[in-house]
Amino acid sequence: MKHLTAGRLGAVLLASLGVLVVCLAIGLVTGPSGISPGAALDALLHPAESGALADIVWRIRVPRLLLAAGVGASLAVAGVIFQALLRNPLADPFILGVSGGAALGGISVLVLGTWIGVGAGAAPLAAFAGAIGTTLLLYGMAAVRGRVSATQLLLTGVVFNAFASAGIVFLASIAGLADGSRIFLWLIGNLSAARTDMGIVVGVFLVVGLGVALSLARGLNLLALGDEAAAQLGMAVERQKKILLLATSLMVGAAVSVSGLVGFVGLIVPHLLRLVLGPDHRLLVPASALLGAAFLVLCDTVARSLLGGRELPVGAITALVGGPLFLVLLRRNSDRSFTA
Amino acid sequence: MVSLAPSLTAILVTLGAGDLLVGIDEVSARQQPALAQRVRVVGGLFNPSLEGVVALEPDLVVFVPSAEQRNFQQRLSAVGIATEAFSNLRFEDVLENIERLGRLAGREPAARERIDAIRAVRAQLEASNRAVETPRVVMVLQRDPLFVVGGGSFIDDMIAIAGARNLAAELGDAYPRASIEWLVAAAPEVLIDMDASHEPAPAYWGRWPALGARGRIVHLDPSLVTLPGPHLDRAMQRLTAALHPMAPFERGAPPAGAR
Repeated sequence: MKHLTAGRLGAVLLASLGVLVVCLAIGLVTGPSGISPGAALDALLHPAESGALADIVWRIRVPRLLLAAGVGASLAVAGVIFQALLRNPLADPFILGVSGGAALGGISVLVLGTWIGVGAGAAPLAAFAGAIGTTLLLYGMAAVRGRVSATQLLLTGVVFNAFASAGIVFLASIAGLADGSRIFLWLIGNLSAARTDMGIVVGVFLVVGLGVALSLARGLNLLALGDEAAAQLGMAVERQKKILLLATSLMVGAAVSVSGLVGFVGLIVPHLLRLVLGPDHRLLVPASALLGAAFLVLCDTVARSLLGGRELPVGAITALVGGPLFLVLLRRNSDRSFTA
Repeated sequence: MVSLAPSLTAILVTLGAGDLLVGIDEVSARQQPALAQRVRVVGGLFNPSLEGVVALEPDLVVFVPSAEQRNFQQRLSAVGIATEAFSNLRFEDVLENIERLGRLAGREPAARERIDAIRAVRAQLEASNRAVETPRVVMVLQRDPLFVVGGGSFIDDMIAIAGARNLAAELGDAYPRASIEWLVAAAPEVLIDMDASHEPAPAYWGRWPALGARGRIVHLDPSLVTLPGPHLDRAMQRLTAALHPMAPFERGAPPAGAR
């Protein structure tokens, strides 16, 4: 592991922040309405104005950019943590079933909501409830005899995800046409419903998750050596794993509840950074947050601009861009280590 | 006869041929509760039950082909059941469907009467709407995700008949998914909201004040205009009333379906 100096940390964070700022700027001046970059910047500087331009910049693009950044950062950080926690390079934010629980909760309300008198607007709340429920289940299942076992967690997650997708398929089969389109967008990941309050919720859980991950980053490094070795080196392994599991699951739950299952961000951003920066989590966690945010902001800008007035689900873009990009980098760096 | 499309069921019932039906799909059943009491419901619009249809031994199954039903027609034909496919994308398609169903059900006079009534209203509206301004309109089928009425659908045809310009025709699909930024930038003079959710239209659209500041937002019950069925004359009148609340023949009366 390369020694981490303040200078290296600073340089990496500054560069990542620079990339994020550039992506946000591109997102701000790009969109299907074709307003000029100058007009968009002008509207940004005059938030009190009214009219279509102000609506487009302040009530459409800005909330959406912030939500994309928050969701992208949450998923990428969750990916880093789960990959370390489970010591499994295939781990992504959705692997433990939290996403499945969220999707099942949200889609239940979409399909059955009209019968129990709640509208589609309650779906994010139900999704978050589903995420919390799944987290508690995971926790209860995996923390037998006071130990959090990676194998138990993975198996619980895989089985729960299978159960949740079966439930989703069942609900989709009885859903009408309008609900069908919502379910599809949920499963592929979509940010078109962005609102400022959603961004705030995602932001709060991101800050908590990020804070936990940063303060336990050294522990994440030790976990790569194995639970026993980490314990010998003085780490309170079980307690830290539980805290990480809880904070990360809530962060994923908040992100999924507003955006659906945006794939690839949580898988490729951490791995790309591992290839470039090495396995030190003190560097990986903050860089993943910044570049995960940048990646999703950029992908969402493509999703909402590529076809003019017609909208694409961002999840399709992240997978289309992310897949090939990942394979190219994997090939060029095939000598480098992949696991944490 | 079995009908697997709500528009075809509605046409048959209106032509007085409802008693020929022995089976219908779930959406038809929801729209025709009286009929649903009497006949068998043979599954959803996209997943009709082959066994349920075959068990009714129908002499004919009428349906609107869709990708979701896959090869339902072939599977019915394979067991020797006659099928008739109907397209209901355009205005003229719907009139043709009324005529064909009238023929198949032995109700030609009723079908002719219905078609003549629709054509008469169309001619009358086209004549009177020529005199008024053509408002620029967007019709929202669903708010979130945002689906609108695009070009090349029977609703698009009715927008033209009602003397308005459908801004979403440029999106290039019959019922495209649009972005809210496109909608705000398009700045429709009339936004017709047909979303079924509980949130009142002003509260929802108020999130983008420019929409309401520059145009009128009208809520319209989708069941009045979105069925390519037997009552396109009524649908055209409702649409015209929503688009031209101050038009001479409507002056003084609130636009139908507006709230």
